[in-house]
Amino acid sequence: MENLNSTANEKIIQDLLPQKFGKSGKIWTGILVAFCLVGLFAYYRQLRYGLVVTSMRDYVSWGIYISNFVFFVAISLVGSLITAVFRLADVHWSTPLTRIAEIIAVAAIIFASLIIIVDMGSPERFYNLFIHGRLQSPIIWDVIVITTYFFISILLLYFPLLPDIQILIKYKEKSSKRLQKFYSFIGSFWKGTPAQFKLSEKAINILCITIIPVAFSIHTVTSWLFATTYRPGWDSTNFGAYFISGAFLVGAGGVVVAMYVFRKAYHLEKYITADHFEKMGRIVVLLALLYLYFNVNEYLVPAFKMKKSEEAHLNGLFTGEFAPLFWFAISVGMLIPIIILLFKKGRRPLPVFIAGIMVVVGAWFKRYLIVTPTLLHPFLPMTNVPDSYRHYFPSWEEWAIALGSLAGAMLVITILSRIFPIIPIQETITERHETAE
Amino acid sequence: MKQENNSRRDFLLTGLAAAGLAVGCSSKKNAFEAGAEEGIKASGKKVKLLSVDGEVIEVDEAFLKPVPALPAVSNSEARLGIGGKKFVMVIDLSRCKNLRKCQAACNHMHHVNPGQNWIKVDPMQEAEHTAPYWQPTTCMHCDEPPCVKVCPVDATFKRQDGIVLIDSDRCIGCRFCMAACPYSSRAFNWSAPDIPAEVAAQPYSCESSVPQKKGTVGKCDFCPDMARKGELPHCVQACPNGTFFFGDLNEDSVSNGSETFRFSELIKDKSGYRLMEDLGTKPSVYYLPPVNRNFPYESGLDNDTKEKK
Amino acid sequence: MKLLNKNILGLLSIIFFLSSYDALSQEAQKGDLNVSISYFINNNKIPYLLAKVKTKVDGKFKPVNVIPLNLFLDKDSAGTLIAKVVTNEKGEATAIIPASLKNQWSSSIKHTFLASFDGNKNYESAKADLTVGKAKILIDTTSDRKITATVFEMKDTSWTPVKGVELKIAVRRLDADLSVNETASFTTDSTGQATADFKRDSIPGDEKGNIILVAKIEDNDQYGNLLVEQTVPWGSKFIPVNNFDRRTLFATRDKTPIWLLFMAYSIVITVWGILISLVISIFKIKKIGEEIQA
Repeated sequence: MENLNSTANEKIIQDLLPQKFGKSGKIWTGILVAFCLVGLFAYYRQLRYGLVVTSMRDYVSWGIYISNFVFFVAISLVGSLITAVFRLADVHWSTPLTRIAEIIAVAAIIFASLIIIVDMGSPERFYNLFIHGRLQSPIIWDVIVITTYFFISILLLYFPLLPDIQILIKYKEKSSKRLQKFYSFIGSFWKGTPAQFKLSEKAINILCITIIPVAFSIHTVTSWLFATTYRPGWDSTNFGAYFISGAFLVGAGGVVVAMYVFRKAYHLEKYITADHFEKMGRIVVLLALLYLYFNVNEYLVPAFKMKKSEEAHLNGLFTGEFAPLFWFAISVGMLIPIIILLFKKGRRPLPVFIAGIMVVVGAWFKRYLIVTPTLLHPFLPMTNVPDSYRHYFPSWEEWAIALGSLAGAMLVITILSRIFPIIPIQETITERHETAE
Repeated sequence: MKQENNSRRDFLLTGLAAAGLAVGCSSKKNAFEAGAEEGIKASGKKVKLLSVDGEVIEVDEAFLKPVPALPAVSNSEARLGIGGKKFVMVIDLSRCKNLRKCQAACNHMHHVNPGQNWIKVDPMQEAEHTAPYWQPTTCMHCDEPPCVKVCPVDATFKRQDGIVLIDSDRCIGCRFCMAACPYSSRAFNWSAPDIPAEVAAQPYSCESSVPQKKGTVGKCDFCPDMARKGELPHCVQACPNGTFFFGDLNEDSVSNGSETFRFSELIKDKSGYRLMEDLGTKPSVYYLPPVNRNFPYESGLDNDTKEKK
Repeated sequence: MKLLNKNILGLLSIIFFLSSYDALSQEAQKGDLNVSISYFINNNKIPYLLAKVKTKVDGKFKPVNVIPLNLFLDKDSAGTLIAKVVTNEKGEATAIIPASLKNQWSSSIKHTFLASFDGNKNYESAKADLTVGKAKILIDTTSDRKITATVFEMKDTSWTPVKGVELKIAVRRLDADLSVNETASFTTDSTGQATADFKRDSIPGDEKGNIILVAKIEDNDQYGNLLVEQTVPWGSKFIPVNNFDRRTLFATRDKTPIWLLFMAYSIVITVWGILISLVISIFKIKKIGEEIQA
């Protein structure tokens, strides 16, 4: 490997080494930190006064915290899609995208677990989950599977990072002393010997196989939080597959958006090419069609029967109070991106980026529509309650915390991209080398 | 065990004389029966009393306390429940006119937050041309409770006497049980409960559900603390129309305070049913259909309008 | 020193203010109390009294607690004190007639009980009395499941059967009495007897099929409340079936279904086994790297 130190390699390394924040980078980080601080303040208020600061009440007992949680879990699935599935399928064009996907996965899973603690009424009793946890509860399954997925995501980020750490250490002058210390701490032992490569390759292969069932579990279990109840709109055997297809879609959308932003911010046009957008565009359209298929299943079949318990719920979505949001989520989250991406012209970087944003935004509201309308249609009428119990619109604290968590996840992505090369350097060199040969 | 038996016999022989002392507001209650099962121990101190014949009788002091000296129920006992019992409720829909005295009594005794209710009285009408009626709902205390299935920390649990309770010292406030309950019977303490300081200072027991705590779930508890004292739940006592019947399935009897029926006969004669049988939750609350009503449906509407004013 | 004086002055003025306020409020809102007494005797043994205190608030009677009452036998304050009691949260207080009143008790077949409240700053004084005659019920059962209850009253020095007393004959249930047949209540005939057929076949009893029969007189103007019990083996044997220890999805954590435990643990152990092996391979890589360095 040492022989590869040609000028071409030097160029790649110089291009891909993490860069210090420019002015826009600093402003961006500042905005994210500001959002996080507002969110923290709102959470302080929630801790002090209780969940009464939210708009959740006895009927709508789960609100945007839970939809945000589902959203994070969904987007975290992308790590397994881009890295594991493509690697196992021996697809090489996705190499520059793997690190982006892994970083998104780690950030999202961290905030998924944080937001679920935020939703708890007595977070100081979180430890009860460990000392009194009962395996019959899907929440415990979720706790187990989220912990597992978090750990796997970290490993999947770490193993491919080791060769890059060696490069980072080698180019001391490019990073601060503290960062250098951190690099040596996590990876100074990597010498790039064939024995090490062999072990690491094997580990990555095992990880890629393991992460797929775990990723499926995490999202299936999350869907079961809803599907194990009797409520109209949740009581569905379709839910696991429906959630997973949705998760793949929003994950791919998230990667597309991140690709575009990193490409612009770090001038990576040579590495993240228009061809990548073309290919990711195809994947997004495929996944959007798949998700659309599950949506048709999820809504058309019960709507055909119109059982009494489902009637009010479905009418509320199709033509009632949630109709604008519902059709917005369906069209912006699926239909319009599909139309854009079906055309070759639509798969150029900018349209793909726009379609990606639409997918992500649509997906967030879709999660909201999965959680809230169902809770407003209980089996027995809503009686003997104050008027505020019959409606739900999130309070400013809920918005602040939800936006704060989204900003937090983006902050984690930003920081990780500042510390580590956003495109795997060693792998890019190796691949270029192989294609050259 | 033997000693306990002895003390019980002792109690039955002599103590029954004083049993009525434990009585609450009416004479038919025998709190000592429940008390004896819990094993009130003879104190050894005898008190001299006068019999109706004018003779002097010695009675053990322990059986004379106005409220039987029930040992405070520990958390593990409260989680087990009262052995050999299976509590049931029967709600006669033909007697309800939406007075909501049950609700007021329950809210008062459990210090339920203003605006929230553990008992609700739903105005029901299944379809356009079917008859409207008032349907009081409590917690159904299901035999296969969906709320208990999903609780991650055993904070809500099923007891051997059929009651589903919540341990507010354990609850983490995830509200999964509220999503799982098809009867919407659970209420969450969104803020610190609005209760007098002396109530808040009471030691918490899951059997009395008082005091409620911020960030935990609460609901109708079938008043097991009352059952231990040999009294009917607050809602049953409060209803002026005798809508609620409470009793022990194992004794095959339910009572609303003034009337007592054999449970099996009542359910058979009046075609009792349970709510949402198709969900398989197996509730412990039975309903008698609203036929031969004591009040027209409309008479209950006045109570709703009164409330709004 | 000066400060202390100031404090005392302040304190005094507060006390003065409070006391004057108190005096004012006394005039303004002294409530009326409603006192009542009932007389109970169970299994013909120890008679006792139950006093209840209520007051009218917004047109509704509400119990009043912490009201001291003096209970007397036959005559008021000059006479025989039975007990001094204080009402509880339910506005109730009970008293047993002490052995020291043996002579007074035996001197008459009828007694008047008196409850008096002397009044305090919130309430006017109040009184109530109740006159009852000594009576008792005897209960007898036959093998063909007939229950006969006989009511006696004390006349002169002997127990005499009474005609025309209404009473209930029932099976004791949880906080309730289930009548032994369709008849809600019975009236004694000229021999003082009331007979009821037991029609509650196969009603669950205890493990031996024992049930408790009760005969009782409620709120009788002459005799108060009387209750007698008798245990008979007429019920069906009740063998409690306890499903509590089953392993189910709604059981506690120590009763998780085996299949669930098996599935969960096998998955968790497999996955974490793999993850741990991967962590070990990190250390292997590390070891190789360190060997090179050395």
